[in-house]
Amino acid sequence: MKYTHHTRFLIGCLLALILLPWLFHATDSSYLVSTFTRLIIFAIAAVSLDLLIGYTGLVSFGHAAFLGVGAYTVGILSFHAYEETTFLGLPGTLSGLTAIPLAVLLSALVALIIGALSLRTKGVYFIMITLSFGQMLFFLFVSLEQYGGDDGMMMFDGRNTLPGLDLNDRVEFYYFCLTWFTLFFLFCTRLVRSKFGRTLAAIRQNEDRLSSIGINEYWAKLQIFVIAGIGAGLAGALSANHTEFISPDITHWTRSGDLMIVVILGGMGTLIGPVLGTFLFLLLEEFLPLILHSFGFDLLSEHWRFVFGPILILVVLYAKSGLYGMIFRKGG
Amino acid sequence: MLKIQNLCKSFGAIKATDNVSLSIDQGTIHALIGPNGAGKTTLISQLSGYMQPNSGTITFNGFDLLTLPAHKRPHAGLVRSFQITSVFPELTVLDNICLVLQSMCGQAQSIFRMAKADLSERNEAQEILNRVGLGDKANSLTGNLSHGQKRQVEIAMALATKPKLLLLDEPMAGMGAEESRQIMTLLNTLRTSVTMLLVEHDMDVVFKLADKISVLVYGRVVASDTPENIRKNQDVQEAYLGGNELNPKVKRC
Ligand SMILES: Nc1ncnc2c1ncn2[C@@H]1O[C@H](COP(=O)(O)OP(=O)(O)O)[C@@H](O)[C@H]1O
Ligand SMILES: [Mg+2]
Repeated sequence: MKYTHHTRFLIGCLLALILLPWLFHATDSSYLVSTFTRLIIFAIAAVSLDLLIGYTGLVSFGHAAFLGVGAYTVGILSFHAYEETTFLGLPGTLSGLTAIPLAVLLSALVALIIGALSLRTKGVYFIMITLSFGQMLFFLFVSLEQYGGDDGMMMFDGRNTLPGLDLNDRVEFYYFCLTWFTLFFLFCTRLVRSKFGRTLAAIRQNEDRLSSIGINEYWAKLQIFVIAGIGAGLAGALSANHTEFISPDITHWTRSGDLMIVVILGGMGTLIGPVLGTFLFLLLEEFLPLILHSFGFDLLSEHWRFVFGPILILVVLYAKSGLYGMIFRKGG
Repeated sequence: MLKIQNLCKSFGAIKATDNVSLSIDQGTIHALIGPNGAGKTTLISQLSGYMQPNSGTITFNGFDLLTLPAHKRPHAGLVRSFQITSVFPELTVLDNICLVLQSMCGQAQSIFRMAKADLSERNEAQEILNRVGLGDKANSLTGNLSHGQKRQVEIAMALATKPKLLLLDEPMAGMGAEESRQIMTLLNTLRTSVTMLLVEHDMDVVFKLADKISVLVYGRVVASDTPENIRKNQDVQEAYLGGNELNPKVKRC
């Protein structure tokens, strides 16, 4: 029952997302395609974070670090392609077939290192150490003077190139991101229902029991940490392409905080939740100031976060498992 | 099969394990008795790798157990159960057992095998639940079971690892009379295939099942002998059996 309910909801959402560019075209609001591209990219990162927070019980406060690694990989390669210089003896490139896989690979590697160290701690210490690693990366990117320091850098040559696809076209890039989002979402759906998913649930519920039944919980946690890092790295690579601009802000701790808020708002331990959370969060962030302004609340419009905060708190308080709970639990 | 030599473990001033030497022979049920706080759980924790001793050695089938991390010990055939029930409350009873089975076949990290689709695993888990008397609870959430039923899950999980040496820390504590009898019968049928170290307060159970009994008091082994000799032993009578300390009805935690 619940399963079909879910599937129908998902297929409906996917169809809506597929048809969206037509709708915007018809209503002369094509600029919104770009807004929704941003939502979809952010949703990939949010879903990947929920694998840690909601499914494994690992509250990682440094997830934006991997967004940064993905984005900077694409950015630095593009920078050297434009300058026709080399990086560690290797030429830059704009080719998406090289840049995007490399971005994902490097995110995995950084996640492996950060995970290997921080997963030795638990609870509050884990939150603090992941936060510290995130900030370390932030300051590392700030210190990269060659790539704009804290001002960041532009991708002067435009987005990555791919055979048969023009990513500089707004609509084609939207579908490119939607495809990655769908693939990642399907992968996660399988993952959480797999035997490994059951191990993750066990870690969340009673991690001290695992070694007595022969499971190396450290290794399992490291594996999911790397998978989540890959998701965020992919989102980072897409995000760099989307804005054609990369700055350390993408790794700032408030970005990690936003991701956590989105996961909690949408519903931890579900895959749909973080997507819903992302959509509500980013749409409010984008349109709340405008809405308030149009109602004449100019002061509030400037300090829109004062309205935004209470809305978030209300959702979290009144819906037990966030937006997901509102939609799926009440309906029976 | 298991040989403990000069094992010591202290918590501050408390010597929880005080120079313990003990060996467990293959194919026997070895009972460990002693008053609360004697260090029985602490000893099991060291055998299962949950605690590291301060000194001493433990060999299992001839090789040094202390170099083996806790999560590898079940794969070597050494498995413990917990005195304080430790299950996965948000998984169904069946999934608790399936989790153990998948771990034992090295599939705990398998992404491409669906958890609920492995029918032979589910059948095997159901079989184990039937044996401990929980067959009809397979699809209940473990967190919703009664205390006694959770104890049964605890034992089923240990059995699912197909242990060679099973360390049972007060398996019947908190169970109803009927459940206790069922578990006792089960342990008795397992005795031919599984060696056991059994910590238990119920002397009826201990004297019915045990081939050998060791008595632990303040971290020390004060006697280790056959049930008949333990019954006759004057020291044990004074230290433990005869005294008022023995009261199996008391709920322990
Ligand atoms: N983690 C611990 N930290 C400090 N003291 C402990 C710890 N575990 C057990 N003890 C102490 O060690 C002694 C033995 O405890 P335990 O092994 O639980 O006894 P038993 O299982 O025989 O009742 C007790 O005095 C207890 O307070
Ligand atoms: Mg105890």
